[in-house]
Amino acid sequence: MTTYSPTSPPGVASVPVPDLAPVEAARWAQRAGLPLPGDRHAIVAATANHIHSVVSVLRELDFGDTPPAPAYRAEEEKHDAQI
Amino acid sequence: MRRSEVTRPYELSVAAAARAIRARELSPVELLESVLGRIEEVEPRLGAYTAVMAEPARRSALTAEREAAEGRFRGPLHGIPVALKDLIDVAGTATTASSRVRAGHRAQSDSAVAARLAAAGAVLVGKTHTHEFAYGLTTPQTANAWDGGRVAGGSSGGSAVAVAAGAAPFALGTDTGGSIRVPAALNGVVGLKPTYGLVPRHGVTSLSWSLDHVGPLTRTVEDAALVLPALTGHDPGEPASLAPGGAGGHLDERGTDLTGLRVGVPLNYYFDRVEAEVEDAVRRAVERLADLGARPVEVEIPMTRYVQATQWGLMVPEATAYHERTLRTVPDRYADDVRILLEAGELMPAGDYLRAQRAQTLMRQAWIRLFDEVDVIVAPTVPAVAVPAGQETLAWPDGTVESVSDAYVRLSAPANITGVPSLSVPVGHDRAGLPIGMQLLGRPLAEAELLRVGLAYERSVPVRALAPVL
Repeated sequence: MTTYSPTSPPGVASVPVPDLAPVEAARWAQRAGLPLPGDRHAIVAATANHIHSVVSVLRELDFGDTPPAPAYRAEEEKHDAQI
Repeated sequence: MRRSEVTRPYELSVAAAARAIRARELSPVELLESVLGRIEEVEPRLGAYTAVMAEPARRSALTAEREAAEGRFRGPLHGIPVALKDLIDVAGTATTASSRVRAGHRAQSDSAVAARLAAAGAVLVGKTHTHEFAYGLTTPQTANAWDGGRVAGGSSGGSAVAVAAGAAPFALGTDTGGSIRVPAALNGVVGLKPTYGLVPRHGVTSLSWSLDHVGPLTRTVEDAALVLPALTGHDPGEPASLAPGGAGGHLDERGTDLTGLRVGVPLNYYFDRVEAEVEDAVRRAVERLADLGARPVEVEIPMTRYVQATQWGLMVPEATAYHERTLRTVPDRYADDVRILLEAGELMPAGDYLRAQRAQTLMRQAWIRLFDEVDVIVAPTVPAVAVPAGQETLAWPDGTVESVSDAYVRLSAPANITGVPSLSVPVGHDRAGLPIGMQLLGRPLAEAELLRVGLAYERSVPVRALAPVL
């Protein structure tokens, strides 16, 4: 059984990551194939930084051998379930 | 049930209307015309519908009436009008997603759920508003059924408001972070987010494949139990669809005696940063369940620190992926709040997405173990009642300030991440008269158990009236 650890591996989540500047957000978006008009650089950067601050808490977890869970079957936990 | 002189057909629950149709006391045509009249009366104030399909509905109702006259009944939904959230395809009609991006859209074929409802004899009366592409929690086009100055909730706001106001006997919504249950709670109706994969999503516009669910909004728990079986069953066209025989929506045969039922009452998370009147109403409902024989058991909810991170880590990049083309070709047609989230989603690294997928695995496993200790978990559906339209934040007594969207998603999202079923049931009103919802959560495919508990609660309290549409 996989377990999770709420403690941060050393140096993983504790190091503050500087926010993306607007020009960096624009470059990242460009690399993703989405050219952004100049008037959107700042707001996209701010939103991306906020999303990053929320999502980066997952770096605290030690996932071990845990696989990702795309489009799973909710019934598979029951080994006697009908297939 | 015989209809009293004061009960108009649009006021009937699905169950009551079905009994009246079956007994030939009510014709599907009469019921439809009553609902259409109600729509005409309240829609100017509510804005629940994107489209009302009166003429096709009249043809369907006439067919249902002819079949009834010949003694042919397709089941409990025979001749019952239904509204579909406008993310759900119906052949030959627009699926607008309440978005200008979809201008000129025409669905080529029925979604799986639209086809199943049609086969069950339901009469499609119209399509209802969603927060644009389901990417939000308020549905700004639609007014709350109890207070027109307050949000409908979302994203299935139109469906919840239509059902609450008597403008549809039942409706379908979608739920990615609470989008069935949130508006259900805020408008005083029942909303069921089934087990992930139980109801097919084929032909339903996606927000996030890992989290999306389709389910019913009804006025009563009994109605939800009637609608669910018409929606379930394996769909070979969808990878996540569950196999046949996996679950049914029928009420549990043990009935409404709850003796021995272990009701989990969360010690953490679900009662944190919750309005006092909401907490009081839910705790009173727990006491009611105990009066009915249930045994409250305190439970510790696992991994709550990672709920929002996992929800966002899955939803943000998946929504951006779904909208990849139109974000590049017609970005100006999105509403500002949706466009910015879609753009920012382009900047999320794959590593963050994979961590969210792995956290989803861990959370599912932890929640499955939780149901070794209890049969159902009871919690508030949302931490606050419907806020005034335009209000963007909620301030909590602990000094924190939370966006309305984050607050409305907070208690619903665990069931989306873990795939467990969640049923939202009205449990009263606050002092201002605004509805409060309680959610019942169960192990995967435990819909019958949740419906049984919800029905037991519902039958122990006075019958709810339609929303006043103020």
